[in-house]
Order: sequence, then C-alpha cells, then structure tokens
Amino acid sequence: MLCYGGSVVYSVFLWRKGFRQHDFVNYALFAAGFVLHTVAMLTRGFDLNRCPVNNLYEAVTFVVWTIVAAYLGVGLWPKLRFLGAFAAPVVFALGVFALMPGLDPPHSGRPEFGGGLVSLHAALALLSYGAFGLSAVAGVMYLTQEHNLKFHKLRAVFSAMPPIDRLEKITSRLLWAGFILLTVGLAFSPALLREHPEPNVGHDPKVIWSALVWAIYLGLLVMHGRFAQTGRRFAWGAVGSFAFVVLTFWGVNLLSPAHRF
Amino acid sequence: MPILVIGLSHRTSPVEVREKFAFADAAIPAALAEIRSRGLAEEAAILSTCNRVEIYAATQTPEREALPALRRFLLERYTGDTEPELYGYSDPRSVEHLFAVASGLDSMVLGETEILGQLKKAYEVALQHRQTGPRLNKAFQKAFNVAKQLRTETNIQRGSVSVGSVAVELAQKIFSTLSDHQVMVIGAGETSEKTARALLSRGAHSIIVSNRSHERAVALAQELNGRAIHFDEWAQEFANIDIVISATSAPHYVIDRAKLEPLMKARKNRPLLLIDIAAPRDIDPAVNFLENVYLYNIDDLQALADDYLKQRETEAKRCHEIIREKARTLGLTTPQAAPGAGCHPCQT
Repeated sequence: MLCYGGSVVYSVFLWRKGFRQHDFVNYALFAAGFVLHTVAMLTRGFDLNRCPVNNLYEAVTFVVWTIVAAYLGVGLWPKLRFLGAFAAPVVFALGVFALMPGLDPPHSGRPEFGGGLVSLHAALALLSYGAFGLSAVAGVMYLTQEHNLKFHKLRAVFSAMPPIDRLEKITSRLLWAGFILLTVGLAFSPALLREHPEPNVGHDPKVIWSALVWAIYLGLLVMHGRFAQTGRRFAWGAVGSFAFVVLTFWGVNLLSPAHRF
Repeated sequence: MPILVIGLSHRTSPVEVREKFAFADAAIPAALAEIRSRGLAEEAAILSTCNRVEIYAATQTPEREALPALRRFLLERYTGDTEPELYGYSDPRSVEHLFAVASGLDSMVLGETEILGQLKKAYEVALQHRQTGPRLNKAFQKAFNVAKQLRTETNIQRGSVSVGSVAVELAQKIFSTLSDHQVMVIGAGETSEKTARALLSRGAHSIIVSNRSHERAVALAQELNGRAIHFDEWAQEFANIDIVISATSAPHYVIDRAKLEPLMKARKNRPLLLIDIAAPRDIDPAVNFLENVYLYNIDDLQALADDYLKQRETEAKRCHEIIREKARTLGLTTPQAAPGAGCHPCQT
C-alpha cells in the first residue's frame, strides 16, 4: 500500500508537470508494490490452501493485483506507462477500501468454498474486473488527452502521453480481455450449481448483477465494433461501466446469499 | 595556447554580407592551409554555413595580435560596400561560443540540430587535412559531447517552432502512425504545401490535392507524389481522409458543420484532424464541437509554435549555465583568463 500510495503522490507531481517525462518512477513503484502484493497473496493462499478470494478484502485486493499486473504488462511500452498515473488513485482507493475493518473476518479453519471450480470461477470474475478497471483508467487517460486536444491546450502536444487512437485500442483490448474472462468465469456457474445446489439461484442478486454487468460490457463492445460508437462515448462507456461495478459490488455481495463474502 | 574564434553570423550581419564571406566547400582546405602557412594560427577549422562564417583557431600568438590578423584574413575576401560587423572571442568565451553553436543555441531557429552536423563536417575537413591539433581536437570533441548532453538532459530541442511541424506533432498526438492515414490538401498554397511535405516526411500514407485551378492541383500533386482531384470532388473522397489541410482563398466557409456531420458518419467517426491555414478561415469553428473532430486554425498553430519557442528560450538560459560550467571544468580554457575576458567586438 505504501508503494501504491507513493505512486499517487508521484502521479500528482506528473499531473502538475503535464506528463512531460517518461514515467519510470511510477512503473518502478508499481513493480515494487506488485512483488510485495504477490508475496502477500501467495502467503495467504498457501496458508489457506486455496486461491485467496474468499471474502471482500481478498476479492478487492485480487482486483487491485490484476489491475497492477495488467498495467505492468501494458507499461512494457514506455509511452503507455503514464497509465500508472491514472491507475494509481484507483488502485490506492480500492486498497484503502479493502483495509476497512470488518472486510477480512478470521477464516473458520475449514474451506469456505469447496473445490477448485469455485476458486476458478471467482478468480476469473475478479480478473475480469481488474481488466475492466484498467480499461476505465485508459478511458480516463483518453478523455484527458482528447479534452486537451479539443481545447488546444498546450499540454496536449507538450505531454509525452500516447496518441488517442492508441489509447482507444488499449481500452478496447482490455475490455475484450475482461469480457472474455468474465464470460469464461460465468460459464462455470452451471457446473458449480451441480456441485453446490442453491435454491432460487435465478433470483440471486449477484447472479442478476453479473448478468447485467456482462450485458453492459457486451453492449459496449458491440456498439464500438458494429455501430462506430468510438472516441469519447466509448471512453465514457468504459469509465461509467467500471464505476457501476465498483459502486455496486459490495452492496450486491451483501444482498446475495449465494455469494456473500 | 588559447582558442580563438572570429566570424560573423545571422545575429550580426544580413545575408548580403554573410554570403560574401562564405567559403565554398572545395576552398576550405586551401584557406586552412593558408592560415597556417601565414602563421596566423597553429591549428584551425572553418565553419561556413548560410547563417555563419567562423574561423576557430589555436595559436601561441597573443590574442591582441592574433585576432586582428585573423580579421584581416577574413576581410581580404570581402568585396562589399558596407562595413561588416565581425566578432572575435578568446578563452573562455570562444570555447563557450563553440559549445553554444554546437548545441544550436546560437542558431536562427533556437535549438535546431542541423548546425551540429555542419560543425562536425567542418571539423572533419580540418582533421583530414591535418589542420587541427590537440587543442582544437579536444575543444571540438567536447563541443559534440556537450551538444549531446544538452539534447538529452534539457528540453532545448523539444517541440516544433514552425506551423508545419506543429501540425505534424498534432497529427502524431491523434494517430499512432501516419503511414495508415491519407492527407487531403484543399487549396494549393505555399503554407499548405509545406505542411503537407512535413506530414509526408513523417510517413503520411499519401496526399490528395484539390484546388479551384485544377492545373495547380495537378502540379502540386506531382511534386508531392500525390493525386489531384477537381475542387467539387473533395467531399466524395472524404471517407478515406484523416487529415485535411485547407488553404483556399474562398471568402466563405468551405467546410461547415452541416456538411461535415454526414461525412463523419461515412467515415465511421474515425478521428479527423482539420488544419485551417486560410485567412479568411475555410472551416467553420463550430465543427470542433463534433465528436472526433480536431480543428486547428493558423492562430492556434502559431500559438503552439510560439509557446514552444518560449520554452526553448527558458531552456536556453539553463543550457548557457551548463555550457559555462562545462567550459570551466573541462580544462579547455587558459588558466590566466580572467572573468569577463575573451570578448572582442572586432570592429574597425
């Protein structure tokens, strides 16, 4: 968290400077945070003997870990490292949220979920939220640069940020990656129900919410690919959809008997 | 042995005077040999470009005698009527001047890099003809290093200071690569031609030229390896165009929102960069409110170029400080040189 917090502070500096230098510091801070984060998750996973996605704290930190992993991959291209400046506040805010008291109750000593399918289902869904999160970050970056170009701001040409059509491609690819992960994750649901039958699962708020999220992202991708809803609208779509996921995730989990963390 | 420099540049003399001092490439080796044979200097190099003519020399002769002698050598070639204004510097100012020239700080376009290549060429000619020695070799090598350092550690060469190159930079902030994008020139004027050339030089896919006079469009298209179309056909070609340079002399808008909106749909809302360099303007400013349309007129481009220039001027102060420090610490200046020494206007 300290590394991610340091990245937020450095990001403020980058914003003020107008993104004129390549962003090695943020990348290094994220890389250091990622290593520590991975070690912490592995330790917890080995202690519990399963994938650490059993409560809200673990779920949120898993999403944060996914966002950081995706950023480190995308950031291999130097011009895309500025994504870190936009990702840092999201990552830090989610991390602080995960640390709220009560989100990480002590484990009972027996597995909360039985079998690997549950872990796979949860991990794929959370990975998809991570990809959606980074796509939203790329969307914010697009909107910032697009605004600067539209209004002839000097920082549009002075900054070392990538061109907007590349940002749109990144947003689109991350959305596709997230959508495929979510689809595969949700596709395990029938098999899971056979293993752990749940009454009235069709009315479970999390099931309805997941179907809605899946439909929202499908709609966004179809509108982008087939109906030329590009540029600002697409970026707002990526940002808005992820905002919906973030703002409703906790509440829906509280309401869901089958998915309660 | 101090290093001296004497010469004239765009800062001191107009082109009518500078051209009378210019050395042809083929004449430089002979001129260098003459400087040495006449005992004017032990080491010498001549830099002769369209913006400056300078002799760099290292000599045992005291500067009070050496500088006037070199001045006389330069004036022997001069046939003009007006009195030329030459400058002459000795250590440490001469070394600082050499570093500044190499870094583009003394150039007409502040921070440009072409001068570094010209200086390298001037040095290589002198080196090949064995007219340099340890003092000039060291000074020139250090100058090249300092130029490289300033280029990488400061923003002196960052950004564009001409309308054409600002347009290219804008295009590169919208499109990842220009090689997939076609440019349309509407109205074949000088600035639109320069801008189109700048885009082509950075890899733009191809050019389509549309002009009221079709002959002029054909001529420009041939020069730019592009394709000419009739003026009333430009809208039909719009589906494949991503960058438009408009510079007609029309008294009304050639492109307005009503005309562009359906064209954007035909282009599937791909980003479109419109560069309006006409006066009166060719493109209705309201089109900038359309999604994925980026409109820049000549004032917008000029403002960006001016801002870049201001940034370079700020950086230039920092560069001069670095140069002074480098000249002092690299041991090129003579130990007896007092602060403020080394500046000689060299006027008669």
